[in-house]
Amino acid sequence: MQVSLVTGGNGGLGLAVGWALLGADPKNRVWLGVRSNRESAERLCVESEGRCRCVELEVTERESWAKAVALIESVDGRVDVLVNNAGAAEDGLLATMPVESWDRVLAVNLDGVFHGCQAVLPGMIARRFGRIVNMASLSALLAPPGQANYAAAKAGVVGLTHALAKEVARLGITVNAVCPGYVETEALAHLTPERRQAALMTVPMRRFGRPEEVAAVVRFLAGVEAGYVTGAELKVDGGIL
Amino acid sequence: MNETDLRNEIRAMLVETLMLPVTAEEIGDDRPLFGPEGLGLDSVDALQLVVALDKKYGVKITDQQVAQQVLRSVSTMAAAVTARPPT
Repeated sequence: MQVSLVTGGNGGLGLAVGWALLGADPKNRVWLGVRSNRESAERLCVESEGRCRCVELEVTERESWAKAVALIESVDGRVDVLVNNAGAAEDGLLATMPVESWDRVLAVNLDGVFHGCQAVLPGMIARRFGRIVNMASLSALLAPPGQANYAAAKAGVVGLTHALAKEVARLGITVNAVCPGYVETEALAHLTPERRQAALMTVPMRRFGRPEEVAAVVRFLAGVEAGYVTGAELKVDGGIL
Repeated sequence: MNETDLRNEIRAMLVETLMLPVTAEEIGDDRPLFGPEGLGLDSVDALQLVVALDKKYGVKITDQQVAQQVLRSVSTMAAAVTARPPT
C-alpha cells in the first residue's frame, strides 16, 4: 500500500497520475495537491470511494507544504510517493520577458520542487523508503524559442533530480524525472490549428501523447519494482528527441 | 532517563540507523563520529542522524554549524537531548 501526494492535482496530467497510482493497488491512497481550482480533482475523489482526497497546496509556499504533509501524515501516517507535477508556463522571448514571468515560472516549476522535496524527505529518510518523481519536460532537454524561463526551470528540475538522487540513494529513496513532449492537456488546447499541425510534424509518431501514457511511466517509477532506477530522466515524447 | 541510559540509547540508535559494522559498546562517549579518527561517517549519515534526533527526541537542528557541534560524539548528542526545551 502506498500513500502518494500529487501536486497540480487538478490538471490533466495530475488527474491521470492520480488515477494511475490508485489503480496500481486497491489499497493505495492518493492526495491531490490543489488550490482554488479543484472541481476535477474533487470529482476523482468522489469516484475513488474515499481513497483519494484533495489537500490545499500552494507549491511556492513552504508553510503550505508543511501543512499539507502534516495533514497527510496525521490521516495516513506517511508520504511514500511525491509527484512534483505542478507547473506553470508564461512564454515569451527572453529579451522582452517581464521579470515577473521569469520569477513566477521559476518559482512554481523549480522552487516548488525544492520545497516539496524538503517537506517529504525527513519522513522518507526516517522510514528508509521514498519515491520522488519530478515532472520535467522535453523542453528541459530540447528548449524551444519562447520558453527560456520554462526550459531553464525544467532543466533545473533535471539537475536537481540527478543531484538529489545520489544524495539519498542509499536511504531507499529514488528520485527520477519524467520529460513529457506534447501531451493532450489543457495546455495544448490553446494552440491554433496551424501551430498544432506544425507541432505534430515534429513528432515521429505523428500524434500527441495521452496523459495516461505519461502517468503509466510515473506509476512505474513510483512502484517498488523501480527500486534500482534513480537519477533517470525518462522521455515520453513520441520520438522527438 | 539518566545520563548513562541516554548515552546507551544513542549508541544503539547510531548502530541501527546507520547500519554500522561496529557494536554499540565499541562507540565511546567522546569518540569522534566524523573525521579521520571517526567512524567513517559522511554527510548523508549526518542527515540521517539529524532526522533521527528529531523523530526520537524532538531535537531540531536547522543549522549546519549547530549540526557539526551536536553530532561530534555520543556525549554532545546526549547533551543536546538533555538541553532541549520541554514541550
